Amino acid sequence: MTARVDAELALLIDVGSAWTKAGVVAKARGRWRLVAHVAQPSAWGDDELRGALAQQLARSADARLVDRLQALIAGANRIESHTPRRPGRIAVVAVSRELSGGSARRAAEAAGWEVVETVTLDDGRRLADRLAILQAAEVDAWLLAGGFDDARSQRALEAAALVASARRPGGGPVIWAGSTMLSEDVAELFESGATIVADNPRPDPRREELPRVRERLLAVLRSTLAGEDETQLATVALPRAVGALAAASRMRILAVDVGARAALRALSESDGTVVSRVHARGGLGGLAALPGAAARVARLAGDAGDESAVADLLQTLRARPSTMPQTPEDLSATHAATVVALAGMLEEGPPSGLDLLIGGGRSIAGAPSAPHAARMLLDGVRPVGVTQLAIDAAGLLAPLGSLPDDEIREGMALLADDLLAPLGTAVVTRGGELGRLAMRVTVHRPGWPTSQPIEVRGGQLQVVPLGRGQQAEVHIELGDGVGLGSARRSPRIAALATGGALGLVLDARGVPIALPRRGDDRRAMLASWREALSRETPPGVERIA
Amino acid sequence: MSVVHRVRLPVGARPLVDEGHAVEPAEVLATRRPPGEGRAVPVAGALRRSAGAAAACVVVTPGSVLSAGELLASDGRGREVRVPDDCLFLGYDAIDGSALVAPLLGTEPILGHVRGEVTGVSPEAIEIRVTGARVAGVGGSGGAVHGELRVAVHGPGDELRAGAIDVATTGRILVGGSRASAETLTRARAMGVAGIVLGGVLDKELRDFEATQRRRREIGGERGDLAILLLEGFGKVGLDPDLFSWFAAHDGHVASLFGESAELYVYDAAPPPARRTFPRPGDRVLAHRRPYAGLSGELVRVLPGLHATPAATARSGVVRFDDGLTAVVPLANLEAAERLSGG
Repeated sequence: MTARVDAELALLIDVGSAWTKAGVVAKARGRWRLVAHVAQPSAWGDDELRGALAQQLARSADARLVDRLQALIAGANRIESHTPRRPGRIAVVAVSRELSGGSARRAAEAAGWEVVETVTLDDGRRLADRLAILQAAEVDAWLLAGGFDDARSQRALEAAALVASARRPGGGPVIWAGSTMLSEDVAELFESGATIVADNPRPDPRREELPRVRERLLAVLRSTLAGEDETQLATVALPRAVGALAAASRMRILAVDVGARAALRALSESDGTVVSRVHARGGLGGLAALPGAAARVARLAGDAGDESAVADLLQTLRARPSTMPQTPEDLSATHAATVVALAGMLEEGPPSGLDLLIGGGRSIAGAPSAPHAARMLLDGVRPVGVTQLAIDAAGLLAPLGSLPDDEIREGMALLADDLLAPLGTAVVTRGGELGRLAMRVTVHRPGWPTSQPIEVRGGQLQVVPLGRGQQAEVHIELGDGVGLGSARRSPRIAALATGGALGLVLDARGVPIALPRRGDDRRAMLASWREALSRETPPGVERIA
Repeated sequence: MSVVHRVRLPVGARPLVDEGHAVEPAEVLATRRPPGEGRAVPVAGALRRSAGAAAACVVVTPGSVLSAGELLASDGRGREVRVPDDCLFLGYDAIDGSALVAPLLGTEPILGHVRGEVTGVSPEAIEIRVTGARVAGVGGSGGAVHGELRVAVHGPGDELRAGAIDVATTGRILVGGSRASAETLTRARAMGVAGIVLGGVLDKELRDFEATQRRRREIGGERGDLAILLLEGFGKVGLDPDLFSWFAAHDGHVASLFGESAELYVYDAAPPPARRTFPRPGDRVLAHRRPYAGLSGELVRVLPGLHATPAATARSGVVRFDDGLTAVVPLANLEAAERLSGG
């Protein structure tokens, strides 16, 4: 009688609004390893997912297990995260479009609300039109803002009165984020218990304070979407995983995830403190409605066709989010759209001082090659300084983040090298002039002869091969007026670069990237950068899919 | 076959129908009186008080609907302010001592644009059970319209030309093919076409057309917008041949088209061809991304493992398209089309 062979497996699944990513983790030769991972449209369902995973596993699994793989996967410990099943919808009503309205809108979007209407008293509409818009609005909550904290603004009360006139009793909470002096007056306009007072995002004309109102809005959003297990929401789980990773590695980490519908960023300090933002319409599907997006994508892509063709593509990304690019033009436009979405998430400026930048979401983590993924991260985020780049290729971070704290740490320690797919290290400079020396870089790789310094000029992008698992000491001399994001104490900066599928990227294209105005020049420059990233990819690197 | 259609009611609407009531597309389901432009009603002066002190005399709260002659403010000693017309009270200005009200305009009807039976009535919505088939699209434009269906092209890949629109199309919902130019859309609107169903349209042309519709509304010109429904995608995208045949079989049936929510109800109709994701070998399939967007054919086989192309590495299949072309297409870009029974 033969002994029954079994396997210890865990299934990590991240169910997105369009794509589901799943990985099987198994104990192999005493170590937990990621042994299979797939991504497929969420609509294909669980059976198909298990089938695809089993097919992958069959190539390496013990022959005695092959017939039982699907059953083993079905019975495996399932660790799941998912995007909210529906977005919370909010209407913003404020006094001024630029000040209170703009701040309130940003706070709501950053908390993950989908802002379906914005009405301000200076929006140029007639009063009757404002009322008609608000009376027809189908929302879960109302965000009211206006008035500075030291004044009783009559206009702010008018804005509140608009909501009182348009909202049905019991028609969702009213969040008052205006002058503290008016809180009681506003509360009196609505039924008891309907009003929630939040911090004023514009306490005075010169100051915008979003964090506390954002936190309040986030709490209201969670209670609005109650019924979903909060720990399993990717918007909660991914930042938790990033925080745990930062604390464990003592690194400052930014993770960005551009999905079909929403986009998320989570910035964690090295002590594990995380600040995250969800942009409810910040995903690829949201770009179709963004004025000027098609023109910007066409300009950034260079080879994706004219604005009209790109506009059709953006609509396709909205209407059929689980489809994928099939032509180089579509791929280029999709990646340029991802860059625009990333830039939209970081509109207050590029982050500096990052140790690690992680890309997630189908377009980045599922890019056909490492150069594609790296280029989206570099162009969209512009991480000034010396930063490791990686992608969450198997979509493991969010499911891991749904575990209890101690298990997150344990899971990360167990998966170690399989958790992220490293792309390499980027040195991104700011400032300087086009064509003039931006940095002179000497790379010392253990076991290699010391190479000649590499000169990178403003507007250039170069890649130095540095494979996965390799490290190099990098000495950087910056040109006049060029910076790496922090105060320079020495003319030579030393840093440690870690290799990956791409290598060491020396990027002196500035922040933001300046593109030539002439179409032909722009296309030539974009092509040269694309070629620089692809050309230097060391042979035999792992494919990212 | 029946589906439930929900007619959302704006705040202040008054339903006119009850559960069980049979409704027609043009029937008024509810009425409302929308608020008009704001008007100031002097309060402080009439009460002979300062603007600040008169605030305490206002007896209604913002959002209250007042009938003509209803009390707005009172000083408790016989001095009163009443509203001259039916209005919505918006607020009191403690600086100039006046109340801001929005007079309620004339009664406006709320139409359901569908034929069916009322199954639910609440202040928020009226639900109607529609006997017929529902076809959902990927995009659309314009409001709700109804009319007889009329297939206006010969094949699913044909472009709807301006020349196909004449007086006979007035009040109809036309089924076009793979595209309609801005010129065609403009002519359709001018000829009083109720709606157009298309496989695809160029986003830019649709936006340009929507801009002209908006402009017409703003200047208070003719009403009667044209509603558009896109079934397959953006760009020049042909209709699924089976779906096109289904439309042809229902030529002359009454239909209701909702542009903004991208849906169409066809009354007394058999179910339309169904679609499903993850096609299998032998399935009729439709492709959704360039360069094959809008083409249909048969999935011959699914390739083992992942297939890499310059644009993607994905599970893919070999498709023999109806035009004779054979190509490898990611399965994510295909939908299986269920054949019509007997068709």
